[in-house]
Amino acid sequence: MKLTVNGAEHSVDVEPEMPLLWVLRDELGITGPKYGCGIAQCGACTVHIDGMAVRSCSVEVGAVDGEVTTIEGLGTPESLHAVQAAWIEHQVAQCGYCQSGQIMAAASFLEMNSEPTDEDIDAAMSANLCRCGTYPRIRAAVKTAAAKLNGA
Amino acid sequence: MKRFLSKALLAVGLCLPLPVSAEVAVPAGPAIGTVSREQGLEAWERMFAVVSHPRCANCHVGPSDRPMWSGESYGRTRPHGMNIRAGDSRIGAETLPCATCHLGENSNVPHSPPAVPDDWRLAPVEAHWFGQSAQTICNQLRDPELNGDRDYTEIAEHLGHDVILHWAWEPGGNREPAPGTLAAHIEDILHWGAAGMPCPE
Repeated sequence: MKLTVNGAEHSVDVEPEMPLLWVLRDELGITGPKYGCGIAQCGACTVHIDGMAVRSCSVEVGAVDGEVTTIEGLGTPESLHAVQAAWIEHQVAQCGYCQSGQIMAAASFLEMNSEPTDEDIDAAMSANLCRCGTYPRIRAAVKTAAAKLNGA
Repeated sequence: MKRFLSKALLAVGLCLPLPVSAEVAVPAGPAIGTVSREQGLEAWERMFAVVSHPRCANCHVGPSDRPMWSGESYGRTRPHGMNIRAGDSRIGAETLPCATCHLGENSNVPHSPPAVPDDWRLAPVEAHWFGQSAQTICNQLRDPELNGDRDYTEIAEHLGHDVILHWAWEPGGNREPAPGTLAAHIEDILHWGAAGMPCPE
């Protein structure tokens, strides 16, 4: 089956029931999305389908009907996405394992809600777990990214 | 707002196969006046067992925008984990769309998110069932102001084609299904309606 990931079309020979995360990591070698819980409870595997955050561990590849974007396709080192830039500015990451999921979730959220309150940020990001406890920096970085996206 | 709503709605349209039957034919049902009040109340009792069941009531939370986790497969009753808020949109469009996790195929994997080929969402605010009495829900269901301006046949039709409702009887995994069958529930609605939509005193 065909799958568009980060702007490139791929042809993969897999069962349609295979989770998208498996296809990305094991078939295409795109390892930014991480395996955490496998049941959509931690957010480490978050990618976008047509711009919306989804848990790639819990979406069967046969059900994907849109363009997939992973952390590798969100920005480039030369042209970071506003969320990535804010992440660096706030030095959010500690061990880093959950961070690609956090960033993908934040980027999708800010597309939908460009002026989030702290409560909005907490509601949007609470389903992305971080064992290092970087939550205060995540919230600050999301606010900075929102301001940047709004041209402040 | 519109932009992200359409995006969320677009995303929930990603699913292809239909694990839950897409359309159920609704029979004509008995004529009005041919079912006694007593039989109508018996039908209502069976309907109440369905609408108050966690598979239905957990997402009929009224003015709250927090879905509930309750019932046998959840242990203690509590709001949905992860600080989930469905917002005014009822699909989480303001913060975290329900479809971020509830997307694509229904899952039998323990503790994984269920899904249907439709928007995973909370019921409208006025359809408040969680923790409500049989009398309250019954009166609500026969009030066009509160039931989406439907007569009883339209309520039955709604059951016939809304796949998120069908999921209640085919929830997958270790989730306990709603009692009876979808067809029996539709039959009960038609009998309750033909009896004049009687409610317990």
